[in-house]
Amino acid sequence: MATNAPSPWAEKSYLIIDDFPSMRQMLRDMLRSINAKKVEQASNGAEAIDILKKSKFDVVLCDFNMGVGRSGQQVLEEAKINDYVSPACIWFMVTSEKSAEFVMGAAEHQPDDYLLKPLTESFLINRLNRAWGRKQIFKHIDIAYAARDYLKAIKLCDEYIAKEPIHTTELLRMKARLLLKCGETAQARSIFEKILEDRDVVWAMTGLAKIHIEDGEYESAQAMLENVIKENPYCIEAYDLLALAIQKQNKLEEAEKILIDVAKLSPNSAIRQKNLGEIAMKLGNTETAEKAFRKCITVGEHSVSKTPDAYFGLARICGAKKNDKEALQVLTAVQKMFNNDTVKLRAKITEGLAYHESGQWVKARQSADALGQMLHSTKDRPDAQICLDMAELLFATGNKEAPIELLQDVVKNNNENLSLLADVQRIFDKAHLNEKGAEMVESWCNEAQDTMNKGVLLWKEGKLAEAVEWMRNAKQSLPSNARILLNFTHVLIDYIQKNGIDPVLLEEARSVLLQAENLNHDKKRFAQLMGSLEALRSSVAEA
Amino acid sequence: MTNEQNQPPDLMVFLASSVHDMKNSVSVLSAHLEKLLAENTPDTFPGYAQTAQMLYEVKRVNCNLIQLLTLYKVGEQHYPFDPREHSIDEFVREVLMQSRALFDSLKIEIITEYPEDLTWYFDEDLVNGVVNHALNNASLYTKGKIKLIIRKIDKLLEIRVEDNGKGYPPAMLAQGASLARGVSFATGSTGLGLYFSAVVASMHKNRGRTGGMALENGGTWNGGCFVMRLP
Repeated sequence: MATNAPSPWAEKSYLIIDDFPSMRQMLRDMLRSINAKKVEQASNGAEAIDILKKSKFDVVLCDFNMGVGRSGQQVLEEAKINDYVSPACIWFMVTSEKSAEFVMGAAEHQPDDYLLKPLTESFLINRLNRAWGRKQIFKHIDIAYAARDYLKAIKLCDEYIAKEPIHTTELLRMKARLLLKCGETAQARSIFEKILEDRDVVWAMTGLAKIHIEDGEYESAQAMLENVIKENPYCIEAYDLLALAIQKQNKLEEAEKILIDVAKLSPNSAIRQKNLGEIAMKLGNTETAEKAFRKCITVGEHSVSKTPDAYFGLARICGAKKNDKEALQVLTAVQKMFNNDTVKLRAKITEGLAYHESGQWVKARQSADALGQMLHSTKDRPDAQICLDMAELLFATGNKEAPIELLQDVVKNNNENLSLLADVQRIFDKAHLNEKGAEMVESWCNEAQDTMNKGVLLWKEGKLAEAVEWMRNAKQSLPSNARILLNFTHVLIDYIQKNGIDPVLLEEARSVLLQAENLNHDKKRFAQLMGSLEALRSSVAEA
Repeated sequence: MTNEQNQPPDLMVFLASSVHDMKNSVSVLSAHLEKLLAENTPDTFPGYAQTAQMLYEVKRVNCNLIQLLTLYKVGEQHYPFDPREHSIDEFVREVLMQSRALFDSLKIEIITEYPEDLTWYFDEDLVNGVVNHALNNASLYTKGKIKLIIRKIDKLLEIRVEDNGKGYPPAMLAQGASLARGVSFATGSTGLGLYFSAVVASMHKNRGRTGGMALENGGTWNGGCFVMRLP
């Protein structure tokens, strides 16, 4: 019956991804019988990515368990992160078994549905209709979300709750997630509490626990999460948060146990293996750490979100086991895999630390000197914590200038982060530069503050063009100072509003603001600025 | 190594994997039969009635295999229980889609009653299995009409499958009653479907309340009624 009825699905374009030819054939026959003409196929993840890069599809049917190469989940992540698929694309995972990994928050990028094999034509159509109905609402919200215009996405949620009450709970869930992104904790909390009035809904409980963690209420968060896990032993997100809450209380051994559990539940998650490796290394459990780092490297091999962290962890472990040769091999491998200046710096510091820890002072000194050279030839810097490690090694091997320059960078870019400033002071103390260090830290903080004040003053005096120029230079010298980035964006928006749309300036403002988001500084201000910026950008699009 | 080789294989694992395998084959069979019935009418195809009967039997086997596999996983604590909010409208549409071929071929009229804006929390795969089984069962007892009623009563979701047949025989009512009191094998019967339904109902919990099931005679046509209530 369905065969003859005119179906909107006949006009859509489809991609089938499956490593079994017979399965591809079956799906293709099924699509053919609904008169679909635009059907492409891929027999593995790499092929699928190539096809997705070139063309857009309305529907992707992807095998969840592919034999070799990328897993179905990894193909999905790569496609979403690189925007190879639009938020309107329906992505189905086809699987032979309902598995724990797709129940409740195991991955950030979720498909629209999981279809259990064997499929029938009417079942497929039914699930397509379902997904399509949801998409008509969520694609607009997803587009705003992807553009980081969280305020607009929240407004859309409210509008759809009024229009489509049947989707209320799902829309509230999305709204709470967006509110957290905007730093509106109190509002998110009241959504979670409202949901929990009638029922212990897992996402609301984990959401509430997340807020407790952000507010520093680690013990109550822990109790809530243990409760969630007791009732929902497959809720992987709850394990992640529980490990975090416990780690924040400095109970590392307990946290390690949780991370071992969750790594078992979700063995193919690179990030969870990495977390386990890092905590095990801190605890000196070399064997657990080594196993976790190795597993992390293996499962991350085909993942778009793979990080070099596990390689550095593994190199440290090899160093600690006096296996210099393998440590060096691992460091060579990571530089080949991630060819950028930050990774080169990190490889050098890890090499130096490995030598230093194993008491090979001469070699450690050589690494440190090479590191000092490298710092001069590139402006890229790894994140603050790694810069501190570098400074510490450089001091320890007798280098005086390079570490001070590094610390200057760290302080000026983080002049409001008190705990980081305290870490910097500790490094100075260790290098017997107590007072001199304190003086330097203070003057660096003042310099950063002065730079900021001058820009704000120009802005307040209405000298907008000068303020823009000043902030642009400030950003050059302090590229990861969140407040400077936010103020710069603000000045740019102000300038554009007064002087008319300039696409180049709009693009500059957007890229500066996106850098600020990664620093996680002031979420409310980020959301407001992004809202104004997107309003300006859409006024260009309309004009 | 040698130790492992001498150990007998775990029969349960073989059973589970074979059941999984059989389920897949039977589902393919079922899809073919559905297609065959959809493309033909009793006038054009002399084997229509037998094919409809085959479809009923194949669906029964498929239901049983799915239930066995699920019960095995629940027992081994491998079943990823996934209660989430579902639109009842979407749920019913899928159930009807799955049973349409059978009901059409048996000339059974199915009537549904539910508020279109109702949503509820449950594991869709499990509850779908229960309702499918109940509908399949009702197709055996009915005299041509089956009603699927879903409504919210006293903070519970009530799912009723009613038919216009003579009602359940006393032995079956007794078995339903014993299962409703608590899940057990006390009756020693092979009532897999009822046992499955009772297990599924009892997995659904909220605020101190647990789901339950019952078999009754009565309802719209004074026939058999399968009832499941979820908190």
